Amino acid sequence: MIKQELKNIDELRILREPVEGEMLVNMGPQHPSTHGVLNFLLVTDGEVMHRAVPHIGYLHRGIEKLAEQTEYAGFMPFTDRIDYLAAMAANQAYAMAVEKLAGYVVPERAEFLRVIACELNRIASHLVATGSMAMDIGAVTPFIHWIREREYINEITEELCGSRLTYNYCRIGGVSHDLPATLAGKILLWLDHFEPIIDEFDRLITHNEIFVHRLADVCAISAQNATGYGLVGPNLRASGVDWDLRRDKPYSVYDRFDFNIVLGKGFRGAVGDSYDRFVVRVLEMRESCKILRQALVALPAGEIRSKVPRVIKPPVGETYAAVEAPRGELGYYVVSDGVSSKPYRVKIRTGSFTAMSIIESLSKGVMIADLVAIIGSLDVVAPEVDR
Amino acid sequence: MQYFTNIKRSMMSVLEGMAVTFSWLFRRPYTVQWPDKIPEPLEKTLPATYRGLLEVDTRICTACLACEKACPIEVIAIEVDRNSETKERHIVRFDVDAAKCMYCGLCVEQCPTDAIHHTTLFAATTPDIGDLVLTFIKPGERALPFKPKDAPPAAIERGAITQALLDSRRGVE
Ligand code: SF4
Ligand code: SF4
Repeated sequence: MIKQELKNIDELRILREPVEGEMLVNMGPQHPSTHGVLNFLLVTDGEVMHRAVPHIGYLHRGIEKLAEQTEYAGFMPFTDRIDYLAAMAANQAYAMAVEKLAGYVVPERAEFLRVIACELNRIASHLVATGSMAMDIGAVTPFIHWIREREYINEITEELCGSRLTYNYCRIGGVSHDLPATLAGKILLWLDHFEPIIDEFDRLITHNEIFVHRLADVCAISAQNATGYGLVGPNLRASGVDWDLRRDKPYSVYDRFDFNIVLGKGFRGAVGDSYDRFVVRVLEMRESCKILRQALVALPAGEIRSKVPRVIKPPVGETYAAVEAPRGELGYYVVSDGVSSKPYRVKIRTGSFTAMSIIESLSKGVMIADLVAIIGSLDVVAPEVDR
Repeated sequence: MQYFTNIKRSMMSVLEGMAVTFSWLFRRPYTVQWPDKIPEPLEKTLPATYRGLLEVDTRICTACLACEKACPIEVIAIEVDRNSETKERHIVRFDVDAAKCMYCGLCVEQCPTDAIHHTTLFAATTPDIGDLVLTFIKPGERALPFKPKDAPPAAIERGAITQALLDSRRGVE
C-alpha cells in the first residue's frame, strides 16, 4: 500500500513510481468535473480506486490575510469571492459578525431584504449544484435548463444590487439597495413560473430511472460519519441529521417563517447516498420558494440601513457569526483589537472544506467514475475550500 | 424479471425526458444573440443599478477624497494642488484604473454629489491594459472643485464621459 502523506517533494517522487498493481492518476486541476480548480491524486487498481487524495491550495487567495489589511467595511467585496455561487450568504455572515462585534442593530426591512436575497441565492446555488451534478454524471440537458432559470435570478439580483455574481449587497448595518415594488412583483412572477419548472425538472431527471440507478446507494454517508467529519448543510441533512441553522440557531428573521427542513430518507437507496443529496437540494429549492413568498408578503416598510460611522472601530473582543449558506454553515470569527479600523484576525469556516475531507475515506473501493458522483453530490466549490 | 422491468422503466423515463425536452421546442427561447441581433444595445436596457464602468463628472466633484479612501484596493488616484498664496485648490489628477477595479460600488456610496457613479457600460476591451486607466482629468488640465452651494451644471447623459474616453483610446471618432 502506498504511504501517502505528501509532506515534501521526495514523497511525491516516490508516489510517482508504480507500485505492484497500483497506478497513480492525477485528476484535475483542469478536469471538467472537478468544480473549479481541484486536484485529486488517485491511487487505483484499474478502475477501482484505492484512495483519492484531494489536494487543495490551487485557489488560495489569502482572503483571511487580506481582511487584516482592509477596513471593516472595505472587506465586504472580498467576501463575495469566497463562494462565487453563494456570495450573498458570505456577505450576510460577515456583516452579522461585525454588527455583533460592534453592537449595531439592523433595521427590520434590511433583515427581510437579506433573507430574500439569500434565499434567491440559495435557489441559484442549488440550481448549479444539481444541474452540474447531473452533467457530471452525463446528463447535459438538465444543466442547460437550470442555467436558464438561474439567469432569471441573475437578472433579479442585477436589478436589486447591480451585480450578477459578486453581489456585495450587505453592508455593515443594513443593505446597499432597497427593493423596489416592481422588482418584488417580478420575483413573485418568477416564483409562479419557477415552481412548475421544478416539477418539470423532476420528470426530466430526478425520477429518471437511469439517473436514479446511477446514484442510488453510491457512497452513502452514515449520520455518525457525517457529524464526525463535520459535514454541514444539505450534505449533513441528506444523511438524516436534523440540523439547520435557520431553525436551530435562528438568525436574522428566519424564526418568523414557516418552512420545513428537508431530510434524506433514503429516497431510492440507503440514507445519505448520492441520490439523497441530490433530492435534498431539489426539495430545498421548494422550501426556499416558500420562504420567499412569505418574506415578500411580510416585508415591512422602513429604513434599510442604520446609522453606522464611516470608519468602524469595534471594541476589543472576538465573535463568531454563522449563517446557513447553500453549502452549509458559513461562519466568520472576527477579532478586534479595539484601536484599529481593520480586523485583527478573520477566520472563515466554510462547508466545502469539511466536505473535501470526507472524500478520502469515501473513495475507498469505488469506481473512478463514482468519484465524480461524490464530488458532484457533495457540491464542493473550489474557492470555498481554499479561500 | 426485475431485469426487464428495469429496462421498461428506463425506457419510459427516457421517453418522459424526451417529452419535456420536446415541449421546449414550442416555447419562446431565452437566449439572445449579442451584440448584433438585439433591437437595442445592451447598455441601454441594463437596469440603472447596474455596476458597470465608473464615470466621474469632474464638474461636480468636490475633491473631498471620500471615494479614494473608501476604495479597498486603491483604484482611484486623486491629486489636489493647493496654491499656497491664493489658497486655491485644483484637482490635477483623477485616475480610475478600470482594469483593477472590482466594481463593488463602495466609492460610489460615499460620494456626496454623485460625481463618481457607475454606468451601464461594460465592453471596454483594448489591446493595451494601460488604456484602461481612465483619466478623467487629462494631464496638464486642472479642475476647480465644485462647491455644493453653487448651481449644478447641466446634467450629461450617464456614460457619455467614460464612453468618450474609451473611444479616444481606441481611436474611434
Ligand atoms: S468600485 Fe470598488 S474597487 Fe472600484 S474604484 Fe470603487 S471602491 Fe474601488
Ligand atoms: S468623486 Fe465624489 S467622493 Fe470622490 S472626491 Fe469627488 S466628490 Fe468626493
